[in-house]
Amino acid sequence: MKGNGVTGNANPLRRVGALFDGARDWWERAKTWQRFVVYIGALVFALILPAPWIGTFMSPGADWTTVLIYPIGTYMLLAIGLNVVVGQAGLLDLGFVAFFAIGGYTLAYFATEHGWSYWPTVVFGIFLAAVSGVILGAPTLRLRGDYLAIVTLGFGEIIRITANNTDEIGGARGIPNIPHPTDMPAIGLDFGVLPAPYYYLMVAAIVVVIVFSVRLQKSRVGRAWAAIREDEDAAELMGVPTFKFKLLAFAIGAMIGGLAGGIYAGKAVFIEPGTFPFILSATILAAVVLGGAGNLPGVMLGAFVIAWLPERFREVEWLKEALGKDPAEYRILLFGGVLVLMMALRPEGLLPSRRRKAELHEGTGGMGAMGAEVAGPDTDVSTEAAK
Amino acid sequence: MLLELKDIHVHYGKIAAIKGISLQVEDGEIVSLIGANGAGKTTTLKTISGLRPLTSGQVLFNGQDISKMPGHKRVVAGIGQSPEGRGVFPGMTVQENLLMGAFTRKDALDADLAEVYELFPRLAERKSQFGGTMSGGEQQMIAIGRALMTKPKVLLLDEPSMGLAPMLIAQIFEIIKEINKRGTTVLLVEQNAQQALKLSHRAYVLETGRVVKSAPGPELLDDPQVRAAYLGGH
Ligand SMILES: Nc1ncnc2c1ncn2[C@@H]1O[C@H](COP(=O)(O)OP(=O)(O)O)[C@@H](O)[C@H]1O
Ligand SMILES: [Mg+2]
Repeated sequence: MKGNGVTGNANPLRRVGALFDGARDWWERAKTWQRFVVYIGALVFALILPAPWIGTFMSPGADWTTVLIYPIGTYMLLAIGLNVVVGQAGLLDLGFVAFFAIGGYTLAYFATEHGWSYWPTVVFGIFLAAVSGVILGAPTLRLRGDYLAIVTLGFGEIIRITANNTDEIGGARGIPNIPHPTDMPAIGLDFGVLPAPYYYLMVAAIVVVIVFSVRLQKSRVGRAWAAIREDEDAAELMGVPTFKFKLLAFAIGAMIGGLAGGIYAGKAVFIEPGTFPFILSATILAAVVLGGAGNLPGVMLGAFVIAWLPERFREVEWLKEALGKDPAEYRILLFGGVLVLMMALRPEGLLPSRRRKAELHEGTGGMGAMGAEVAGPDTDVSTEAAK
Repeated sequence: MLLELKDIHVHYGKIAAIKGISLQVEDGEIVSLIGANGAGKTTTLKTISGLRPLTSGQVLFNGQDISKMPGHKRVVAGIGQSPEGRGVFPGMTVQENLLMGAFTRKDALDADLAEVYELFPRLAERKSQFGGTMSGGEQQMIAIGRALMTKPKVLLLDEPSMGLAPMLIAQIFEIIKEINKRGTTVLLVEQNAQQALKLSHRAYVLETGRVVKSAPGPELLDDPQVRAAYLGGH
């Protein structure tokens, strides 16, 4: 152990990292039945997660189920959506919150002003998000790296400011009285003031989106995205219509963002432009990168950590005493510190895929300049992968 | 005539990189483009494969004007390229890299895959290694093999010998010759003029975006001007 100290193995984060890597390697070699056991275990875990005895530790100060819906579940859903764009196709999108807003506003506006019912309106919101994804992508996806990031950032702001200045959709006052989801008596879900049914709805949405995302990743589309992410020119030379596939990634990511917006608005009852700030785009991107862009379990873990940590920090007594006031005021700072630390020690993310590691090792992990600037920390990865 | 460039001009922004190049490649030939750094060799290949747009001029393939055809369709038409710097997909295994070359194909691949592995036995030993962890020479083999998997009529090779040890360079040139012998036309870009000229049927010398000389390969080997400028010698 002492001898290993120099190489950084004594670092607890490295050891946790090694544990994660071990789990991932096991998973990649796991048989179908083993995977099914894990799937069912994960689902059971998700269903018992709201239990009060878990909540007393995880969220002593706020209702745990509510925290699980927002921010945790919502961030996960958004992160899975953004992962399609950033993690799979390698496009840096800094305005992802726009699609969340479009999904939310579509439900809010058409349901309150025109009396549309919940589910068709959510579907319409998903459709509108996809259309705006294509409208944003068509002129901008010919740009690369940093330019794309700037244009998408601008788009997120334009959507928010437009909402702020459009009286028809409530302007700065927002839209109140958004209807809840339609009750589902067949499975005993009544959407009222209690949070539990919304939680189950969120879990269902996340499961559907995961299945969809994994199927895509394993398909021809997923291969095309991987090629674009790793070397766009080379992808074109393989006969991949790169522009079309980038547009598709934008549209699919936008749809997931729109779905998240619909579910969120149906629970929150009230939305306003301030619900969709730029910092939310940045936070979701941080979740994707922190967790390990391109690897779904990693991305979900990242979203969980990013959503949960700041909530938890508010409840830490010794922090309260040390800081002399509510740590919630410092939580973004603390959380920034944790992020910096993580990225310094494990820049490829908490739970990266092996492929992603190999990409970063080479120094061109997609995501424009971002990926290129991240150096591979452990050179032994390559020799490991060689076997 | 398999491939023909007619007075092409290509710009990067306002900078003219190619100032009127015309060249022809006949079916079955090995044709070389030689020239110093920045002469426009890479840009010429990128223009043929559709990665760079033309400012003016024409690219003809099999007699058909493909100047406006997007790059991914030119692959289907029969233009395969191994790009400068190899462009291997680092996070894909050797086999996955090769299969990317067959992305648009719906026919059986086994025979072609076997042929690539036969040309490059080294790749066969390393099928499941990540492309990004292969050595420079091995990556060059992947890039060429991957381009072959697109079943090209003409194979564009951009400096396949760059950064390789002399032994490997000789080997790569042998393989290029073999690929050509098996029926694929080759357009080769090289700074390593000596070896390129030796195996080329014809060659063009590029200087700052223009063709300054064209002749059969061996003839250029003896050309005093070319010797002085590109063969380091007398
Ligand atoms: N991406 C680029 N942006 C601007 N100028 C470029 C770019 N790529 C190449 N050039 C310029 O175009 C000219 C031809 O370059 P290139 O085709 O790469 O030459 P070669 O392959 O013969 O070394 C050079 O003057 C080079 O500086
Ligand atoms: Mg070049």
